[in-house]
Amino acid sequence: MTTADDIFDRSANNIRRLGLKEIPFTESPIALNSETLRCVFTGREGELEKAFNQFQSRDRRRILVYGRIGIGKSAFLLEVLSVLRRKRPKMLTAYISLPSDLDLATTALIAVAREMPDDDWALRQLHQMGIPTTKPMKERTTEASATMGFGAKLSEKDLPMTKAQYATVSLETLLERASEKYPEGVVIAIDDLDKQNPSVVRQMMHDAQGILKGRAWFLLTGHPTGITGDLLTSERGLFDLQLELKELDRETTYRMLINYLNTARIDNECKDLQDPRSVLPFVPEAARRFCQVSLGKPRLFNRLGNTVLSRAAELQEQLITQTVLEECLKVAAPTLLQRAALNVQEERVRILLQQRGSLSDDTITMADLEPLGFRSFVDIVPILERLEEADLAHQLDRGDAKVFAPIPLPPADDEVLPE
Amino acid sequence: MGKKGFGQSEPPTRQAKKFLLAFMRCMAETQEDRDRVHNFFKSHQAQLNESLLEALPLVVQKLTPEREEIAPFLLTFGNSIQQFPLGDRMLNLELSIAAYQECLKIYTRENFPQDWAGVQNNLGIAYHARIKGERAENLERSIGFHQQALQVYTREHFPEKWARAQNNLGNAYGDRIEGERSENLERSIVAYQQAMQVYTREHFLKKWAMAQNNLGNTYRERIKGDRGENLEQSIVAYQQALQVYTREHFPEKWAGSQNNLGIAYRERIKGERAENLERAIAAYQQALQVRTREHFPQDWAMTQNNLGTAYGERIKGERGENLEQAIAFYQQAAKVFSRDAFPQQWAKNQSDLAETLMKRASLTNKIDDLDSAITLLKASLEVAASGTPYFIDSQYRLGNAFSRYYEYTQNPADLQQALQAYKIALEAIDPEHYDRKQIWQALPTTQSILGSRLVRDGRWQEGLQLLLNSINQLSRGDDFYAHANALFQTGKAHEFLSDWDNARLYYRDALRLYEHLKDELGIAQSRAGLGGVLVSQGYLEKGLAELAKAQEIYQHLQKPNKAAELDRLYQLAKRAWEQQLSNEVYV
Repeated sequence: MTTADDIFDRSANNIRRLGLKEIPFTESPIALNSETLRCVFTGREGELEKAFNQFQSRDRRRILVYGRIGIGKSAFLLEVLSVLRRKRPKMLTAYISLPSDLDLATTALIAVAREMPDDDWALRQLHQMGIPTTKPMKERTTEASATMGFGAKLSEKDLPMTKAQYATVSLETLLERASEKYPEGVVIAIDDLDKQNPSVVRQMMHDAQGILKGRAWFLLTGHPTGITGDLLTSERGLFDLQLELKELDRETTYRMLINYLNTARIDNECKDLQDPRSVLPFVPEAARRFCQVSLGKPRLFNRLGNTVLSRAAELQEQLITQTVLEECLKVAAPTLLQRAALNVQEERVRILLQQRGSLSDDTITMADLEPLGFRSFVDIVPILERLEEADLAHQLDRGDAKVFAPIPLPPADDEVLPE
Repeated sequence: MGKKGFGQSEPPTRQAKKFLLAFMRCMAETQEDRDRVHNFFKSHQAQLNESLLEALPLVVQKLTPEREEIAPFLLTFGNSIQQFPLGDRMLNLELSIAAYQECLKIYTRENFPQDWAGVQNNLGIAYHARIKGERAENLERSIGFHQQALQVYTREHFPEKWARAQNNLGNAYGDRIEGERSENLERSIVAYQQAMQVYTREHFLKKWAMAQNNLGNTYRERIKGDRGENLEQSIVAYQQALQVYTREHFPEKWAGSQNNLGIAYRERIKGERAENLERAIAAYQQALQVRTREHFPQDWAMTQNNLGTAYGERIKGERGENLEQAIAFYQQAAKVFSRDAFPQQWAKNQSDLAETLMKRASLTNKIDDLDSAITLLKASLEVAASGTPYFIDSQYRLGNAFSRYYEYTQNPADLQQALQAYKIALEAIDPEHYDRKQIWQALPTTQSILGSRLVRDGRWQEGLQLLLNSINQLSRGDDFYAHANALFQTGKAHEFLSDWDNARLYYRDALRLYEHLKDELGIAQSRAGLGGVLVSQGYLEKGLAELAKAQEIYQHLQKPNKAAELDRLYQLAKRAWEQQLSNEVYV
């Protein structure tokens, strides 16, 4: 055994000391397998019902799922697809996160083609776009051979990589082919629509109206401050259902914590809300406090969960009491800040946010903006959203103003707040 | 060239030969006295035509036995016809070029290096002034000829000729179209400074004055360095030149430098603007004492044009009268600057006249003047060499004219044309040019107006994009008013799209900026917009407060119509709020 092996074992033991075989939290639902997602996905009953109601129709529908950054849109999408896969085996479901430089038709084409590994035509589409497929694609050509008399020799050469030239037509063709095998239809889920430049997406949506109203079902996600704000108002009629996901309430968050812990706990499958063992290694008070600081935001919940369990393991704790939790949360703020890798301007906005306690279009002044090199609040909204994405800020639920506040985490021991 | 073939003959050379021989006799008799040579041309003006141009090479060929003897006459002919102020300017220059080119067939570099270099120099000057052909290309050729001349005229062996070629090279670089304008002007300054190493005041008083005058021109247009300081340097240079160029001894040069001094004073940044313009007018009027239409029609027209510009900008005196005066000056200039004879000058004069008509339109609110201005500018742009300062000015002016025209017609196509013109101007202007900012800001300002218009017309996709582009650009500029207006227009566009959240955001930003600028009307508009949005969102109390404040400002600004218009919304919102309150009480 080497020293490194020893350290590895010690590390694993620290997690085991907490009664867990691994840390169950993950900030990306895509990393979870379908079974785990099924176990940890909590709440959103009303929204699921509305979405599934749409699927009881013969008509193809377009659903827009929107909500703030880290609210669980991707998990919701994946959960819907996972249910459909179980309940509608003759329906093809495809998921894709919108790539930065592709149009909607090409994106949809890739998503569907990837789910049709037995279809040569689909594979050829992927191959032509330079996307690896499980089956190696070879182009068959015939060559007249002088040395073989009247015979011809078959040769193979690699296909050149090119982008889909006629994405809309190709998608149509692919959907036609899919309909033979999947008579219940094709569902295309395109995630992260507004992680792209809003004006690009706006144009993209505008250009893709034909596709969206075409053969497939579409599930799209975005957050209300970006493109979807425009979409909701301007592209009225494009979506049959616009589902807003909001922060989970405390009780649901508590249930979610139970579900997550349950997937990793050793010899304890207790899920009874009333039973303190259901939240182990947390004691119930600490679990409630943890849910409170998570603000009902699934991604923050996962990020904090990860930090808290890692820190508790480092401290070789067996139980996360409120004191231990506070100790663990102290490392959360610096960890989030470090991970965010903010540039100078973003850091200056973060400091201003910390100083003011909140920033909003209603209360910000020119004196606040000018030192940052800006003259309007809309200029710093992208920066505040970046902080929100990094869980260094969150938006308050105010209809008459756009208000950002820092995530209320306990300060690290050595953190000195700026004046 | 004339067509050869059946029924066609070579150009008649007899007349040309006769003319050339007469010219040679005149040269011999007059000892090349300039005035007498000009008188000769004046009396033979009818023979200065296309036939002469075509026949010239053939005549020279036919004079083969005396070829070497004819070379000096050709050179003098080329020089004299180039300087002849009357007749068809374009043709005179072509004749001059043709004579030089014939000359070069005799004066080869191998056999007559000095003469060859001299002709190169003269060709450089002729190509600089050439009207025929592509202007940019002519200037490139001019530079090429001067550089050729400098290969023989080294500083070591021919210091004076070297200085002359440097000076001429400076002139050509000063007008160059190809390459970065700022860089060309720097090269021009370097060339003049080189020339002045030989042309010292002590040894070459007249040449020194000329180089000072030329340096003044380039400093006046210089892009690099501080603009205000460059103009001061330019004024100093002209004043230096005028110490030598006195009216008594060098009346033409004196008039030329007075004219230039006038331009520098008109453009001057330092000092009192009104006073600078008066000084400019005085300098131009001095110049006109020598530059009469009869004797120096081209120079006279140039100063008329300058006077037009100065009167168009004049602060003292009655504005309307000044503008009328300016228009009259441009019309005078146009009598000489015809489209055929002086296309570039004609284009500039047309463009300047258009600018004054636009100013008059602002004063009188008459669309006719804008109409005429657009026609003039379009015609001017057909001729103006692409990339020249006049071309850029005219495009910018065309943009302004269309923007203003839109105010009358409300036709978005006019704004599209304005944008197009601004874009062309922006693409053509040197990135460092002092006027660039002005054009750069005109573009987003127009974009925001067109953007909001397109949104209102239902072309929201295109409109919103224009608005957002304009905000993006204006947020980096220093035109706070244009930025505030673009924010307001974007708020309005979002309100039109019922996107309340974004509308509120932009209205609040516009309000903040207008408050910073203490712009009462902007504040009122933004509060009115914000109030409307808050009411639409159901935040009646907050909305009412904004509407009330906006109404108050409108009343204070004595805009009763606006206040009354807002009052209707206010009363409606108030009733809804009271209803809401009573429901709450009831509940």
